[in-house]
Amino acid sequence: MHVFLLGVSHQTAPIDVRERLDFSSRDVGAAVETLAARYSAGEAVVLSTCNRSEIYVASDDPERARRELIEFLGSYHQLPAEAFEAHVFVRADEEASRHLFRVAAGLDSLVVGEPQILGQVKDAFQVAAARQCAGPVLTRLFHTSFGVGKRVRSETALGEGAVSVGFAAVALARKIFGRLEGRGVLVVGAGEISTLTAQHLRAQGVGAITITSRTAAHAEALAAEVDGRAIPWTDMRGALAAADIVITATGSPRPILTRGDIEAVTGRRRSEPLFIIDIAVPRDVEAAVGEIEQVFLYNVDDLQAVVQENLSRRSSEIGRAEAIVAEEVERFSAWRRSRGAVPTVVALRQRFEQIRRAELQRLESKLGGLTPEARASVDEVTRLIVEKLLLAPTAQLKALPDEETQIAYTEAVNRLFELRDDTPVSPAGEEMDTERPNRTRS
Amino acid sequence: MKIVPLLLYIVSGVAYAVHFARRDPGVGRMATMALLVAAMAHTFVVGMQTMELHHIPFASLPTVVSTFVWLLALSYLYLEITTEERTMGVFILPIVVALQTLSVLSPGVENADPVLDSPWFWVHVASLLCAYASFALAGMLGLTYMLQFKEIKKKHLGYLYNRLPSLMTLDTMNSRAMTVGWVFLTIGVTVGVIWTAQARAVAPNDPNLRAMSLEDPKIFVAALTWVVYSFAIFARTRLGWTGRRAAWLAAVGFAIVLLNLLPIGYFVETSHTFQ
Repeated sequence: MHVFLLGVSHQTAPIDVRERLDFSSRDVGAAVETLAARYSAGEAVVLSTCNRSEIYVASDDPERARRELIEFLGSYHQLPAEAFEAHVFVRADEEASRHLFRVAAGLDSLVVGEPQILGQVKDAFQVAAARQCAGPVLTRLFHTSFGVGKRVRSETALGEGAVSVGFAAVALARKIFGRLEGRGVLVVGAGEISTLTAQHLRAQGVGAITITSRTAAHAEALAAEVDGRAIPWTDMRGALAAADIVITATGSPRPILTRGDIEAVTGRRRSEPLFIIDIAVPRDVEAAVGEIEQVFLYNVDDLQAVVQENLSRRSSEIGRAEAIVAEEVERFSAWRRSRGAVPTVVALRQRFEQIRRAELQRLESKLGGLTPEARASVDEVTRLIVEKLLLAPTAQLKALPDEETQIAYTEAVNRLFELRDDTPVSPAGEEMDTERPNRTRS
Repeated sequence: MKIVPLLLYIVSGVAYAVHFARRDPGVGRMATMALLVAAMAHTFVVGMQTMELHHIPFASLPTVVSTFVWLLALSYLYLEITTEERTMGVFILPIVVALQTLSVLSPGVENADPVLDSPWFWVHVASLLCAYASFALAGMLGLTYMLQFKEIKKKHLGYLYNRLPSLMTLDTMNSRAMTVGWVFLTIGVTVGVIWTAQARAVAPNDPNLRAMSLEDPKIFVAALTWVVYSFAIFARTRLGWTGRRAAWLAAVGFAIVLLNLLPIGYFVETSHTFQ
């Protein structure tokens, strides 16, 4: 059973191709069910985000899977294959697992180390699992990927440090004020970044958010979004007194807050710090304000510098993250190999059991005279002999170091023991319990 | 015997340093565990010494330093556990290790003067040592505050900035440590005054007792310490001197405490003694 991946991502396809192949707006669950039912795959998971649409299947025939998946994508999205085939990438087995693990770790994201992707991978798997479309191989693959995401997050600094201006501002606020509960925020000018920053602050549990803008409607809109209060533009200076954090982002060509304005406020604040985030270009706050002792004044350049610093720190963590991915890829491959031996092991076990039963049956006449306990003992002894004989070969077959050796050995075992090709095994979805011996009926 | 706590403090110190650098919570927990074990071992040592001497060990340089270190470790543990903030460990443990090393290495014979058996005296010295331990912590916290403040003000959001606690947390810890210290200092000084008065009533001609006035350097510096910390607490509550100003006061107070504990105690042997 092979793992096969086919998809498009921001690395291989422009947005117009990606948006036509996007699954999010449609029912991902239905797509997964269609895949699992109709095609050679018994297992399928669809991962669809704004930056990628990827289909993971477990299949015995990767070549056939490729053709089928292209056909599926075309028919599902009503597109001719030529429209997207050139942008599609495929991976199989080890490379497929490496790709998924890198994605889950945030290594394949636009912003390296971003946290949402792991949740998105988990959701994609949940959808498939809920529809019974995730069998043993993909279940193991995705669970391992969750582990990779977790390991990278805890063992490296790949996801650390704010990498957007809004988050950087909030991180700073927390370094100054500790917990943000009860802190007052004043937003002057309701633009995109000030909106985002206000939202982040609200999410962090900040106290009252007061918003003012030359356009009252903008202030009202933002106030509604972040559970704040809009005030008239003329009341701005009065509102400064209650603010611990001030965000300014107006389009004004000259500064709207002077040193005098701020000094009027800091007198009353005693030694309490005042954090001013001036996102506007041209700046809204006079540079001299930064010289006031308890004021921390950060403009957009300063925040960008923080973001850049964090991004470069993340890049230096990439090596470690890749090492973790490589480790887990190896572990998954070993598991897959051990699984590959399962049909043969099962067949061998069944053959041995067949022989054991047959022989006991043949000796029925001689065994008939024994007491039930004696018969049970005989049954037990023969069962134990079979178990012991199988112990070493089972372990060995499952622990072979690479695919070729495994194929060679299972071939050899099939041949040596004349195990038929169509020896009955469990259905594809069921994990065979080859570790524990068959229990005696008692 | 005294070496066991020292070794454990070193282990704990290393763990705190690794925790600070790598921000690994598992290592942090290990550091706290190691410090707890070290403090327990040290408690045992202090206990043994107390039984041997019939009073808390404080009458020679090595023992007073060792007892101080013990109280410092306990105070820090209290602060760490109540604020759940482990980052300060990397700054406190080196002091602990350095002082305990001093204690282990320096010679000193424990004074056997019977006056030391008075319980007033125990309370006096124990309170003062507790106070100094808290002030040491407050001093470290003040210095750390100033460091973090500078990082944020200068926009050097680098290695230290990322690891040190927030300004508000540092300020809160500082305030707590200073208040606890001031309470113990007040108790210690008051008890000292009462005890001296009582002892003088019994032995009015004892030259040692007569010397116990503000002219004695150790007593003078202790009074100065009390004034500084009283002012710091007053300034915080009435004048709004939090943050940087409070940090500075804590550092100054700590410098005075160090002055009293080591140079004066070490070099000025004629003051505040019973020989």
